Amino acid sequence: MWECPNYTSQLHPQLRTKMEVLLGFTGKDYTIVAASKAAMRGATILKAADDKTKQLNKHTLMAFSGEAGDTVQFAEYIQANIQLYSMRNDTDLGPSAVASFVRGELARSLRSRKPYTVNLLLGGMDPITNEPHLYWLDYLASLAPLPYAAHGYAQYYCLSILDKHHHPDIDFEQGLKILKMCTDELKRRLPIDFKGMLVKVIDKDGIREIDYDMSKEVLPA
Amino acid sequence: MSSPFAINGGACVAMVGKDCVAIACDLRLGLQSLTVSNNFPKIFSYGDVYLGLTGLATDVSTVSDLFRYKVNMYRLREERQISPQTMANLVSTSLYEKRFGPYFVSPVIAGINHKTGKPFICGFDSIGCIDFAKDFIVSGTASDQLFGTCEGLWEPDLEPEDLFETISQALLNAVDRDALSGWGAHVYIIEKDKVTKRLLKGRQD
Amino acid sequence: MSRRYDSRTTIFSPEGRLYQVEYALEAISHAGTAIGILSTDGIVLAAERKVTSKLLEQDTSAEKLYILNDNMICAVAGMTADANILINYARQAAQRYLLTYNEDIPCEQLVRRLCDLKQGYTQHGGLRPFGVSFIYAGYDPQRQFQLYQSNPSGNYGGWKATSVGANNASAQSLLKQDYKEECDLKEACGLAVKVLSKTMDSTKLTSEKIEFATVGKTKDGKVYHHLWGADEITTLLQEHGLAKAEEEDTG
Repeated sequence: MWECPNYTSQLHPQLRTKMEVLLGFTGKDYTIVAASKAAMRGATILKAADDKTKQLNKHTLMAFSGEAGDTVQFAEYIQANIQLYSMRNDTDLGPSAVASFVRGELARSLRSRKPYTVNLLLGGMDPITNEPHLYWLDYLASLAPLPYAAHGYAQYYCLSILDKHHHPDIDFEQGLKILKMCTDELKRRLPIDFKGMLVKVIDKDGIREIDYDMSKEVLPA
Repeated sequence: MSSPFAINGGACVAMVGKDCVAIACDLRLGLQSLTVSNNFPKIFSYGDVYLGLTGLATDVSTVSDLFRYKVNMYRLREERQISPQTMANLVSTSLYEKRFGPYFVSPVIAGINHKTGKPFICGFDSIGCIDFAKDFIVSGTASDQLFGTCEGLWEPDLEPEDLFETISQALLNAVDRDALSGWGAHVYIIEKDKVTKRLLKGRQD
Repeated sequence: MSRRYDSRTTIFSPEGRLYQVEYALEAISHAGTAIGILSTDGIVLAAERKVTSKLLEQDTSAEKLYILNDNMICAVAGMTADANILINYARQAAQRYLLTYNEDIPCEQLVRRLCDLKQGYTQHGGLRPFGVSFIYAGYDPQRQFQLYQSNPSGNYGGWKATSVGANNASAQSLLKQDYKEECDLKEACGLAVKVLSKTMDSTKLTSEKIEFATVGKTKDGKVYHHLWGADEITTLLQEHGLAKAEEEDTG
């Protein structure tokens, strides 16, 4: 039996970015993807209106967190390739095809000399079946289709809330209520101010940003 | 932090019965102790042959997709299904190609050879050494527990229904004693001209 | 005159023609006929087998119909050896797409991949073009059932019913005459044998002389492709009164 050498240092570089919040869930006929607006570098907040999402095609949105530099570099690379596909073939890739493509690229990068350390959430609507989709991808290129997902410390705070309150067929208003519960909990528990959340909705009409007010004080635990 | 084989967790087991074989896996996908998904099957079918893959989730996906490519090409070229024995050699050589940068997976194969009608199971280490077995094969983070439950429950020449009960109990009781696997299971009972797939709910904690 | 321009594929003749491509098309017009018909619930491909001999091993299933992918099959007219190269290329392209995107390649994309390769041999290399025309039948969720045809120049197009190979002009006009939009797969199969029986030399058909395949959907909505067995073809021929009588044994 082959014994595994110690890959600890290579395969699991501690992400310095677990404070970055990526959150997403699907509803009856939409997918919500939300990301924190703070761009951080160590203990410093460099920017308070950062957009950690990229639109890949009409119905697919990708949110990313991870090592500074890698994130935007990888996201732009993916965005360019998905847009190239749309131009060449006069059709958009569906969310599941996009997810498989992204996973493939990230998996290829994982075995390269300098892998991208990027965590992703992919939200989309299938333009043919009109079904909402959400995909969770970590920097190891593990891919899971999920009804709700998060990255970083947000996982520990939000997944339990979503476990309790999420249903696959919640309408938009109910969705926003659950999102509020999640972001309130994040405000309450995270030791830093992540400068609020950027919230985007993907439905049959495409992708739109919604006004999301997080200024109201949240009572401590 | 641990070995890449134990980051995501998961378990898989295959068993031989009388003119039948069974293969089963759990459904958990985790990151260390955090469960990310409870619907991540680890058994993939390639015509008559079933392949179970445990280990690093990214490699489970990569390797299963890779074999879908290879087996589809085989089927188109040869105009017949791949046999379990041929599949075993394909898996072995494909894994050894990555000898010095392996896929972190422990594959398990189960199937019935359509020419001879004989059941076939085998397992591999991550660089393709084949482990032929007449009784059962285990793999994944619950493999120690599975060895125990299989040794205790398995007996020769089980009929399909009894084999289903045996493999299900072996898997469920093993994963209940492993923090990294569980959250439901898929069980396949493979007979000469019939395959039954069952979903087991299992403990959700 | 043409000698100066036809030895290399890459050179236009003074009339602006590529002789090698035209010769390839000529080679195909001697090959067995193949036709394809699109219907509302599926597609039928039918082809004429040229070489039939008692001595020929019959177990090698199809000679003119090939599976390209789970969602696509094709009929070949022209040089089988050339076709094998292209079919292998197409299968690999389809599987590579499946590997990257986890879904079947859209039909037109696969046709285009093949045609890009074919086109290459009309422009650079100093090699001869592939002497094959294809009829493709496939399904994808975006554009449902589709029928395409391509030729050695690398041109392709979508069709409702089409034919390639020997007598394709008469087959085409028969199809034009008898094709009904909104026909179903069963009617399309009937039309296919009818057209084949008229374009082939022998008046009575046998299952050895033709190949048949269909793409369709099962009751539970899954796409299937099916290369017909000899008995299925015989049954179809009998239904349409085109089967050769039992006692007249093939010589």
